[in-house]
Amino acid sequence: MQVSDSLRILRSRKAIVVRVVDEAPAVKTFTLRIEGEHDIKPGQFNMIYYWGIGEAPISLANLPVRSGGSTIIEHTVRSTGIVTNTIIEKARTGSILGVRGPYGKGWPLDKHENMNIVIVAGGIGLAPLRPVIKYIEKNRGKYRDIYILYGARTPTDMLYKYELDNYFKIPGVKVMLSSDVRVEGWSHYVGFVTDLVKNIEVKPEETVSYVCGPEVMMRVAVRRLLEKGFRKENIYLSLERRMRCGIGLCGTCQFGHYFVCKDGPVFPYSEVEDYLWIEGV
Amino acid sequence: MGSVYDLDRLIRILRENLNLQLQGYRYHAGRVSWGEINGIADLPLSVEDYVEPGLYRLKEGYRFRHSSVSPKVFLLPSEQVFLYESEDYARVKAPDTSEMRQTALFGIKPCDRRAIEVLDNIIGSKNPVYASRRKSIAAIIVEECLEPNNNCFCGAVGSGPSIEGGFDVAYARLDEKRVFFKYGSELGRDILVKLDLKPAGEREVNEYREKIESTRELTSRAFSRVMREVQENLLSKARDKDLWLKVSEDCVGCGNCNFVCPTCFCLEFEYSINEQNMGVKTAQWTGCLLYTYGQVAGGHFRPELYTRYRHFVLHKFVFYPKQIGLIGCVGCGRCITWCPMGIDLRGSVNSVAQGGVNAGK
Repeated sequence: MQVSDSLRILRSRKAIVVRVVDEAPAVKTFTLRIEGEHDIKPGQFNMIYYWGIGEAPISLANLPVRSGGSTIIEHTVRSTGIVTNTIIEKARTGSILGVRGPYGKGWPLDKHENMNIVIVAGGIGLAPLRPVIKYIEKNRGKYRDIYILYGARTPTDMLYKYELDNYFKIPGVKVMLSSDVRVEGWSHYVGFVTDLVKNIEVKPEETVSYVCGPEVMMRVAVRRLLEKGFRKENIYLSLERRMRCGIGLCGTCQFGHYFVCKDGPVFPYSEVEDYLWIEGV
Repeated sequence: MGSVYDLDRLIRILRENLNLQLQGYRYHAGRVSWGEINGIADLPLSVEDYVEPGLYRLKEGYRFRHSSVSPKVFLLPSEQVFLYESEDYARVKAPDTSEMRQTALFGIKPCDRRAIEVLDNIIGSKNPVYASRRKSIAAIIVEECLEPNNNCFCGAVGSGPSIEGGFDVAYARLDEKRVFFKYGSELGRDILVKLDLKPAGEREVNEYREKIESTRELTSRAFSRVMREVQENLLSKARDKDLWLKVSEDCVGCGNCNFVCPTCFCLEFEYSINEQNMGVKTAQWTGCLLYTYGQVAGGHFRPELYTRYRHFVLHKFVFYPKQIGLIGCVGCGRCITWCPMGIDLRGSVNSVAQGGVNAGK
């Protein structure tokens, strides 16, 4: 009995790296090909396994594409610990990585048809929101006004620089970029991305906001959005915690009474407002 | 009604007639650990635990309550192997569990039984190791305690001292020799029929009831408020940092409480490559009191010890009820007994529930 259980629950699937893109210092995007179907939604994540070294939870960074009998997915990885360092340094085109997932609850895009969407992303926090942008672009008629607010410490730290210009061209999409520090040649806003919230022009009761970035940035974003009149249940955050299993068995991602891996990582603010402001809960 | 010698006959019925292996509190060489029970000599029948916060002694007696182990060490062992995978993921293999025998848990306590219910609800079939071990349990034999130790508070969390369901046979020692038996299932009734005991008289039933009630009374005094108020106050004080700093000031973050707790289940995944060149996914116990709990490659969500101690307390009393509808603390007192600093969970809960250093804030 356990044989099938272990295989069903914790087995990684073979994924072949078909493309590697340098995004920013210590950040790369890996395009992976997995045999068969891999039905992952924007906001969900996979446990990416560097064989024998370890697994790390990494969000989906582009819409999955079915190609022949395979599925092509993208994951953007920043080198921060042993596993991600190894992936960044060693994985190249042709390498094999393990993929276990998809896990968690993603952005509720289906629920938000006919609404305005305000995307607020900080640094690598754009990665889990990129498939949202791609989805909206593909299904433009389903949504109303879209704002993309994206900031990083410096312009160099921004992800997907090669396609940010394209976001400006999507009809009905307003893009606002920011750099925390002043850099020569930067023509956009200088300051925190959360400052840009005051510039959006939408009816808050018809608008949802998807936020991802460092937790301190997300807290400020929540404050700004609430000040703007957004409803608590219309602000969605993608949270990070120590995730090891992805299915709520290891317990180390607990955030209050939630298991971030299975109850999140995307939460409406209304569900986490009791905990978000308490240090280390 | 029976005697301690009927326990030996009970063991034989389970082993020989039902062909079960027995797992439980095993007395060996002056200590009580967890292991296989083959006969009455393996049972801790002639020892008694004396405990205080931060102190455990085994002495002569007949009222054994706890040791540092619990059924958790059988159901959710400290090291678990999940899976072997080759580098190209073409070959994959789970540990062989064909030798996993049908098992009876023998002599576990009502609080232990509640702990298993908690684990069933929080882990259930999610952990393959837990699932296969849990499925191997074919019978549960419970020993009710008719006298608590100093750190027991099962009555306060409703996990004991009597057991009402989820067992096959339960027994309680009225004194050194006399043992009171009851059944809790069809299987349990069949077993007791085989045991062919004489029915308990009214005097013995009353004696049993009185001792259960006195134990309930003694173990129900832990908290100064009713549980609902305790829970509400714990949550509303969650952000009172000064209060939690004060409550946790003696904590050294060793994690003993996590490891002896029968419901603490947190695991750290580990990865290695074995001699057959297979990547091995394993897990071992971790705990929220340890420094690495909440640490990620890019930072730390619980760097301060008070936040981790707070999680231990809030998880048991506030978060578990939200997660599974049961209090996660079973009142066994192990975290109190094995805390090297003698921190008393009951005291911590009361300090916070009463508003502690910042009462009225």
